[in-house]
Amino acid sequence: RLIYELLFQIIRKALTEEKQVSTKTSAADLVTETDHFVENLIISVLKEKFPSHRFIAEESTAAGSKCVLTDSPTWIIDPVDGTCNFVHRFPTVAVSIGFAVNKELEFGVIYHCTEERLYTGRRGQGAFCNDKRLQVSKETDISKALILTEIGPKRDPATLKLFLGNIERLLKAQAHGVRVIGSSTLALCHLASGAADAYYQFGLHCWDLAAATVIIREAGGTVIDTSGECSTPVSWTFGGPRGCFRHLESPQYSPPVAQSHFWQCLAGTSALSTRLC
Amino acid sequence: MQAYCRDGFLIVTGCFSFAVPLCWVSVCLAGRCSVPLVGSPVPGTLLVLSDWPCVHRALGLYVKGNMADPWQECMDYAVTLAKKAGEIIRGALKEEKSIMIKSSPVDLVTETDQKVENFIISLIREKYPSHSFIGEESVAAGGGSILTDSPTWIIDPIDGTTNFVHRFPFVAVSIGFVVNKKIEFGIVYSCVEDKMYTARRGKGAFCNGQKLKVSGQEDITKSLLVTELGSNRDPETIKIVLSNMERLLSIPIHGIRAVGTAAVNMCLVAAGGADAYYEMGIHCWDMAGAGIIITEAGGVLLDASGGPFDLMSRRIIAASSRPIAERIAKALQIIPLKRDDATN
Repeated sequence: RLIYELLFQIIRKALTEEKQVSTKTSAADLVTETDHFVENLIISVLKEKFPSHRFIAEESTAAGSKCVLTDSPTWIIDPVDGTCNFVHRFPTVAVSIGFAVNKELEFGVIYHCTEERLYTGRRGQGAFCNDKRLQVSKETDISKALILTEIGPKRDPATLKLFLGNIERLLKAQAHGVRVIGSSTLALCHLASGAADAYYQFGLHCWDLAAATVIIREAGGTVIDTSGECSTPVSWTFGGPRGCFRHLESPQYSPPVAQSHFWQCLAGTSALSTRLC
Repeated sequence: MQAYCRDGFLIVTGCFSFAVPLCWVSVCLAGRCSVPLVGSPVPGTLLVLSDWPCVHRALGLYVKGNMADPWQECMDYAVTLAKKAGEIIRGALKEEKSIMIKSSPVDLVTETDQKVENFIISLIREKYPSHSFIGEESVAAGGGSILTDSPTWIIDPIDGTTNFVHRFPFVAVSIGFVVNKKIEFGIVYSCVEDKMYTARRGKGAFCNGQKLKVSGQEDITKSLLVTELGSNRDPETIKIVLSNMERLLSIPIHGIRAVGTAAVNMCLVAAGGADAYYEMGIHCWDMAGAGIIITEAGGVLLDASGGPFDLMSRRIIAASSRPIAERIAKALQIIPLKRDDATN
């Protein structure tokens, strides 16, 4: 808990200051000093308390660290989710910390920095937002669904065509709407709180998914791969050739209806595959 | 030339001559306000002992000094109404909603939209009986949407009805006040976030008391844009909307966001959190409140074609700078739309 207090102050302070911005894989893939600073802070504090634990974190991986999940207790960290928002002062920015043991996700924590909301999920113990219990919506009909997604950093024509083609299919299926808020972890938290019915994305990373997966499952939702295969807690893999994930919320009693229609909408997009790490 | 006193009544001025000194009184129709005009210190002019801009306009004179704002009272009243409307909406968010549809299966409306609009209009009408109204649900029910010179309230009771139905937390009450076809003040209350955005012409834009300033970004390749996919599901329209997004993303730009309400999208630009908003297919009630918030925060409004902004055109580009607005206009293919003030 103490870590969070520290983090909140750092991020809040950084949000109001000028930022040194650089780019990573493309002109739209941004990173700032704050990303590095926050990540180093989190890792150093945790390392001190748990010296034998492992770490998988966004900026360390970009710097060349290996991104392999072992059975060891592992912290999976995104120090600033929504860096592009952060640079622009668009108020949707989060810190995401997930924890896995024996390749199984045990808990996740996501902190919405500007709204000061803490989302938590512990395997078998439910999901909460600031002590309020979270429950996904019960929508099964895609023509009544509000869908969230993110554009991602890739700007090459083929990816853009694929991305917009998927949106076209969802609109043609008469989805109520598609929203983009700029932070995948916070979008997933909206899903967990029942404010939206589905989230999908290609090109996410494990550090975006680790905490949110626990939170969504504990709120009664489903997390599966974009190919349509249900993922058991272990089968959402690191380093696999796909690395593409989709989170579809649907009630346990009629998953096939909602899911199959959704998969039809996104059929033909399996051509896009990105390695996770 | 028509002019209105602070109570919204038409001023009828008596005969006078600029060359002859006169001492007379101008009385509005209801006889509720009167302004003494005294003497002529300089040939060809009249000295006006009034601080009402409406009177000055009627006489074509310019008077220096501190002028009391005839519309400040309306604006203060509108803020209290927006707050109360927000409470109604927050209460309704917790309940089950019965949803109806308007122009398409995804163009939603609820009882709360209608209840909030009636609430706002009836209270304003009581206080300012001569004012005119253009409200989203009144228009849907057959009411007029022609903008005249009269003081006119342009109201969207719930901007983001789809979000409201899903409890997605971006929902706003939008009130714009227009006199002589010029926006005088605007209010957007994002009620789940409890953010009250306001702007009075010439006096700046604010959110919960904090002054707003646009980002000032002029380089499109460093910009974050906001827009919406809209509620039109006609395949041709969808194609144009998506190809516009493709063209902008390819420039490249930093990104695109869509929170689900035009008014809140525009307020995010006014606050500097994004660099421009554009959309085609919205209505005057989506733009009237937030439009002046953007300009008072230092931003610009442009038509999607690159020409001057037209409140009834169903289109807008609201940007932190003119270069960004013009660059966006260059990329946009126009969607043909029926104007809000079309008579056929």
